[in-house]
Amino acid sequence: MLRRVLSLPAGRIAVAILTVVALLAVLGPVLAPHDPLATSARTLAPGSGTHPLGTDYLGRDVLSRLLAGSRVSVLGSLEVALTALVVGVVPGILSVYLGRAFEWVTLRVVDTLVALPFLLFAVAVIALLGNGITQAMLVTGVLVSPLFYRVSRAATLTVARSQYVEAALIAGASVGWVVRRHVWVKVLPPIAVALAQTIGVGFVIVSSLTFLGIGVQPPEPTWGGLLASDLGYLSYQPWAPVAPALLIMATVWACNLLADAIRDVSGEAGRALVAHRRLRAGRRGRTEPAPTGGAS
Amino acid sequence: MTHPGSAPRADGPEPQDTRRDDPSPARPVLAITGLDVHYGLRRRRRKVLHDVTLSVAPGETVGIVGETGSGKSTLARAVLGLVRASAGTVTVAGEDVTGHSEAKWRRLRRRGTVQYVFQDPLRSLDPDLTVADSLAEPLLLRGVPRGEALARIRPLLERVRLPGELLDRLPGEISGGQRQRVAVARALVTEPELVILDEPVSALDSANRVQVLQILKELRTTGVAIVLISHDLGSVAGIADRIAVLYRGELVETGTARDVIRRPRHPYTRLLVSSAPTLHTAPADRAERAALRAALTT
Amino acid sequence: MTALSEKRSQQRSQQQSQQQSEQQPGHLNASARAGSSPGRTDAAGGSDRSAAEAAAATGPDGTAPGPEAPVLSVRDLRITDRAGDREIVHGVGFELTPGKAVGIVGESGSGKTLTCRAALGILPPHVEVSGGSVHIAGTDIADLTPRQWTALRGSTVSAVFQDPASYLNPSIRVGAQIAEVVRVKTGRGRREARRRGLDLLRAVHLRDPELVYSQYPFELSGGMLQRVLIAAAIAAGPRVLIADEATTALDVTVQAEILDLLADLREQTGLALVVVSHDLAVIAQVCDEVLVMRQGEVVEHGPTAQVLHDPRHEYTRLLVAEHEQYGLDRFRAPEEETR
Repeated sequence: MLRRVLSLPAGRIAVAILTVVALLAVLGPVLAPHDPLATSARTLAPGSGTHPLGTDYLGRDVLSRLLAGSRVSVLGSLEVALTALVVGVVPGILSVYLGRAFEWVTLRVVDTLVALPFLLFAVAVIALLGNGITQAMLVTGVLVSPLFYRVSRAATLTVARSQYVEAALIAGASVGWVVRRHVWVKVLPPIAVALAQTIGVGFVIVSSLTFLGIGVQPPEPTWGGLLASDLGYLSYQPWAPVAPALLIMATVWACNLLADAIRDVSGEAGRALVAHRRLRAGRRGRTEPAPTGGAS
Repeated sequence: MTHPGSAPRADGPEPQDTRRDDPSPARPVLAITGLDVHYGLRRRRRKVLHDVTLSVAPGETVGIVGETGSGKSTLARAVLGLVRASAGTVTVAGEDVTGHSEAKWRRLRRRGTVQYVFQDPLRSLDPDLTVADSLAEPLLLRGVPRGEALARIRPLLERVRLPGELLDRLPGEISGGQRQRVAVARALVTEPELVILDEPVSALDSANRVQVLQILKELRTTGVAIVLISHDLGSVAGIADRIAVLYRGELVETGTARDVIRRPRHPYTRLLVSSAPTLHTAPADRAERAALRAALTT
Repeated sequence: MTALSEKRSQQRSQQQSQQQSEQQPGHLNASARAGSSPGRTDAAGGSDRSAAEAAAATGPDGTAPGPEAPVLSVRDLRITDRAGDREIVHGVGFELTPGKAVGIVGESGSGKTLTCRAALGILPPHVEVSGGSVHIAGTDIADLTPRQWTALRGSTVSAVFQDPASYLNPSIRVGAQIAEVVRVKTGRGRREARRRGLDLLRAVHLRDPELVYSQYPFELSGGMLQRVLIAAAIAAGPRVLIADEATTALDVTVQAEILDLLADLREQTGLALVVVSHDLAVIAQVCDEVLVMRQGEVVEHGPTAQVLHDPRHEYTRLLVAEHEQYGLDRFRAPEEETR
């Protein structure tokens, strides 16, 4: 799957950006040139040799704070996506096979979850359980899980009604066999698409919460928090919000790009697309300019 | 060889099997008696099959012919346990399966006594599994180790005249005729006693058609019973010993292929015979068909 | 094989002589040609003009039947796929006079469908006619503008295809769709279009035309849908109807009904037919002349009875043998003796 995604220019761009972001999350604190919490007398300084992105209103190095804050964003969004994955996919697939009662109950639960505004709910949970990004993200993950439920259920339904599943049943297959051998492979690509999208959504949520100062105590650096504090000094330093904003945007964009690329290369049509591109590239002896997959 | 389901008719005696000796088997592979099948619930309930009686002897080839909606697919599904009979019995290889539970059915199916070949191999083969994996599936389900299963499917490929290198391909990467033969091969891996094929040749062009029919002919010599389901009398005429005509859920005529084709009795059978495309048609056929159609609609 | 190639070369020389006599007028425009072409009746000339000018033409009703001018003549047609840069059809030729039926038989990918599509001017992108010519009612299609094509399709040459359901809008009643064709192609008013639409549905032997007229496509069976499409195809009184695998997806009994209908139309209105099928028997049932195609090549061409009785090419023999060994013919042939 990854190799096929990488055969698309859009896929390569997305994977490159996300790899950089992931590296930032792992190595960020090490790479930071200054202590992200250390204040100095040079407040609101423009970019210079010692402070490439300048300093904030307390004289802290912006680059260091960005690097240090990336871990919170990445971990938070992954937490949202993985929680949603586990909570959504399992009942999504099972709803097709475990009978009408289970199907009815899960569908109603999903309808309820969709009706809840997750940002407000996350705020409420933090108010209830204390200020912690982990709890907030877990709850958000549950709230966005309907996407995974729907996607995996829809994919399973089409497969379950297919003739090859019927053929397997006639050969004596059990439900478990059908899911393992026929359903799982077909459900994976749409789930991968949903996962990439949800990670993007997760970034937005983490950034929104930290922008509001929720989930992370103030001196701790976060992308959203940086954006918020920069906005307060917009009249002194109008360019300051650009760096954190761009970082958030690029990451979310890369997630959506990746989702598009996965969708483009998965399934029968995807196989054909990849084969066709290889053929064409081979014949013309050069690679094509990037046709960024259709709008999502 | 005719059965109570095909009501005796006033004109002429019961047709005699002239083409082959009566195998006079001790036990039919498939025996259906008085089968009724209904679809839908309460007010939407309607009868799809009514009082169908049919039996298939080992090594016999039976063609079931009927138009879309005549219930021929339902008949096959009833034999496979995919739909429930509301009356009558179905006996497969001596075992009465009419009231079987899901678990019992699964055990029966894993034995692979009865196999089914779908009409459209493109849809009945998993697009993400290689030919080898699709062929091996029925064996793996019986608990045969993977290595042994793969070893056992190789000779089958020869039997359906497919080259060995096809094993690693996906169904989308081989031709329609090859796919149909893969589907037939898959039905043979469990060494079944009965193979039911739904329109095995109607989507194929002449060369592939002949090839599939020849494979079935060879299969028949090994003692396997074959049931061919089709809307076209012509496409079963070549290899069927007996033909059963299904019309609006009832078996209206059963007899040897020769009798049914040369001396059809029911108007619908007559229309079928007259409608089957043949190389030598007479202009008079058109008027005959028009008359038969009129007779059937009133 | 030598006999076959001899026969073909004979045909070719015949065609060439015809070609010369017909191409005398040279590159004049169609209406002028119709007037000046010597060996042609007025009626044929009239519809010639109509084809080139506009849809508001005198119908084919005025066409005098006769062996005169061919309504469709295909000569040494070659079709090339520009994307792959290879020739797909290597020289197909046949002539169709009013009331005649030509059959093209071949497996999928033999070029039979592309030949028809060329005659309808609806070749897929990248695929184009690279040699030979197609004349519809005397007009060389190579000279046609898109506008003239639109006028020609439906009113002179028309077609039905394999999957009838996909050619009808599922959310519009059948009658409205037929009336639309009638209005666009013949310029009649609403009320008249309705009357003509009902007549057409009756003409294709639909049992209850009024009911079908008010139904949606999904309420009709495959055979009924194909009849509705035939009704739409003959709405503007075309002189040629191309049926490309039009009965392939249908039950045999329904297939026979449609083929009988085509034969009736041919007898009653002088409609010329091109029937394309992968089944030689389907063609044997309706056509006087048959072309056997394989891999873009016409491997056999002749009167149906002759091709069936004495197939020359190995592939034709396979087609015939398939029916004689495995089809109903196996039981039918000896029946003649016993009678």
